[in-house]
Amino acid sequence: MIWGALAGGFAGTLVLTTTLRAASELHLTRMDIPFLLGTVLTENRVRAKAIGYGLHFVFGVVFAVGYWAIFTAIDERGWWIGAIFGLGHGLFGATALVNVLLPLVHPRMATPLTAAGSTPLLEPPGFLMLNYGRSTPVVTLVSHVAYGAIVGGFIALAG
Amino acid sequence: MRADGYAPIREYAAIGDGRTTALVASDGSIDWLCLPDVDSPSVFAAILDAERGGRFALAPEVPFEDERRYLPGTNVLETTFRTADGAVRVTDAMTLPLAGIAPVREVARRVEGLSGSVPLAWSVEPRFQYGTQAARLGRRNGLAVADAGATAVAVRAWAAGQTGGADLGDGSIVGRIDVRDGDRALLALSAAHQEPLVFGSRDEVEQRLDGTIAFWRKWTEKREYDGPWKDDVLRSALALKLLVYSPSGAIAAAPTTSLPETLGGERNWDYRFAWIRDSAFTLEALLDLGCPAEAHAFFWWLMHASQLTHPRLQVLYQLDGGNRAPEQELPLEGYRGSRPVRIGNGAVDQRQLDIYGDLFQAVWVYVERGNDIDREAGARLAATAGLVCDVWREPDRGLWEVRSGPVHFVQSKMMCWIALDRAARLAERGQLPREHAARWRREAEAVRDFVEEQGFSEAKGSYVRFAGSEELDASLLLGSLMGYCDGDDPRMAGTIDAIRQELGHGPYVHRYTGEDGLEGREGAFLCCSFWLVEALARAGRPDEAAELMESLLELANDVGLYAEEIDPLTGEFLGNFPQGLTHLGLVSAAVAYARAGGG
Repeated sequence: MIWGALAGGFAGTLVLTTTLRAASELHLTRMDIPFLLGTVLTENRVRAKAIGYGLHFVFGVVFAVGYWAIFTAIDERGWWIGAIFGLGHGLFGATALVNVLLPLVHPRMATPLTAAGSTPLLEPPGFLMLNYGRSTPVVTLVSHVAYGAIVGGFIALAG
Repeated sequence: MRADGYAPIREYAAIGDGRTTALVASDGSIDWLCLPDVDSPSVFAAILDAERGGRFALAPEVPFEDERRYLPGTNVLETTFRTADGAVRVTDAMTLPLAGIAPVREVARRVEGLSGSVPLAWSVEPRFQYGTQAARLGRRNGLAVADAGATAVAVRAWAAGQTGGADLGDGSIVGRIDVRDGDRALLALSAAHQEPLVFGSRDEVEQRLDGTIAFWRKWTEKREYDGPWKDDVLRSALALKLLVYSPSGAIAAAPTTSLPETLGGERNWDYRFAWIRDSAFTLEALLDLGCPAEAHAFFWWLMHASQLTHPRLQVLYQLDGGNRAPEQELPLEGYRGSRPVRIGNGAVDQRQLDIYGDLFQAVWVYVERGNDIDREAGARLAATAGLVCDVWREPDRGLWEVRSGPVHFVQSKMMCWIALDRAARLAERGQLPREHAARWRREAEAVRDFVEEQGFSEAKGSYVRFAGSEELDASLLLGSLMGYCDGDDPRMAGTIDAIRQELGHGPYVHRYTGEDGLEGREGAFLCCSFWLVEALARAGRPDEAAELMESLLELANDVGLYAEEIDPLTGEFLGNFPQGLTHLGLVSAAVAYARAGGG
């Protein structure tokens, strides 16, 4: 049921966001997804974080629907396969999505081709987002595995 | 002139942004900066360990003389370096987030060539977590960055139209600039905490720097004080504004920790907290200076913070209102070998009865100036007044937080009388519940009887440090300043004379005679000198007050700032810097002098 994916996406993103925030408070990473997403649209810090949180939840739900579509296609579901998907999702996020794709579409983030110009630039994440702290890859993977397990579990529960 | 790598405390100036404060030495080195907030761990702490503390140095590579000032009406510092071949001007500020996606914190250093040619070298040596956490240096798209844990800094240099110019050295980011007549260069240190770094463009940093100068000028223009020693009072107002922690309205006693009260000694404390002791002075000074927004914020921070420990008060609170301040020692050398370097403050657990008087005096001042307190706060204050009735007979550690055993400090008892008297008066005005007012009045009379019978020495003609003693204490002057007695009361007049005679030394006043449970002697306490000015003014002795005030104003450093203490023999500043209580004392003394008809 797609409702399971929607609910799982919301709950999973809640846990993912909370995990990332907790890791930030524990000084394990400087990654701040809402800040990174929100500054695509605005220079206002407060508005950026609010928009970023909203976007992150939207993306979380969209990805959960994607999980559901693949589960349906392969006729498999459960928290464990969700966790595996989450691991892949986290790896994709840390290597391609945030490291390569986000700088390309983010108007205020440096890419390897950017020279320091007149545009304000955000610190790029680097490979595995290591620029934001040595523990960032671990934090990212753990939080995405949790997200995937929750999404998988919700989809399985919803039948 | 540095000794063993340490600049005299007198040679520092402070810049800040309402969240944290950096200390800039006259030789251009930023030797103290905590990130992201003033009570966070340091990134630059060369003032506490010249070798391992970290700094942001910027100075000519050849011998130079320096001259500096704050830009008028601002907390933006201007240092001019003159060499045999030319002169450059460096403008230092912690910028406010006025343009673009501003970094969490930013230090901007603008360099302008005034004449000839001057080779400048700069180096940023970030040492995170008070120098205990190794920095990871690297580049992000060519820009030099350093990070450790949740905090990161990026350094950018724009010189003669070029960008970059920062090299990674051994644990430092370094560069040099040749500045010729008419050249403009800019260095920017941007900081991030728990988020990615923001790299501003040169235009944006310039805009923020200019906007910051404009902000400070506008803020100063709005101040209402127009009495004697106006320039000095406004400089103190600007220094106090630097100590205001913007998110909460609390005022830090000082932005530093462990600058020693005795060189090489153990009297080294962390002042990056807000003391209840300073609350009445703070509120009255803010209102006298025409800072209603800051005054309201401070008052409600006070009500909020004290709620945590209600009905008891703690001696001090964190700037965000928290009530924890565990004391620990850091593995740093200490300013010129003054160990230990402490963070946190053990005084938080002391019993000091005077703080109840400070709280109620602050509330009284707030209400007297036309403000109201809500019913809930009134009920809490009534419970606190009840507590004062219960505890005033007990000994305490007193205003000076002695680490010797508790005794019956007379100034503490005077402040208990203030607490109960003000509580009763507030009840009369309907600001506090009235049902216990009779008890507060009765106990206030009992306190006064105790002070007058056991806290006064007929032999000295003075109030004394603690009941039954013959020792003196400059804090007894607060009896006049806070309204325990009239300024011209004969007993207070005798106390003023005794303090001048026994604790005074020219313009200097020591805190007390007798023991305090610590090794070594300390310098003269500058706020005590300003209290004496005010006590003289209130006693109807304006000429003596003005003469002393003029002497004290000459003791400020070249940019008008004061530390906590001064060595009477050498004139050297001692203790944390810049010190809020000293500047509060200056403002309060000037206002009292004006009210007494002086000026």
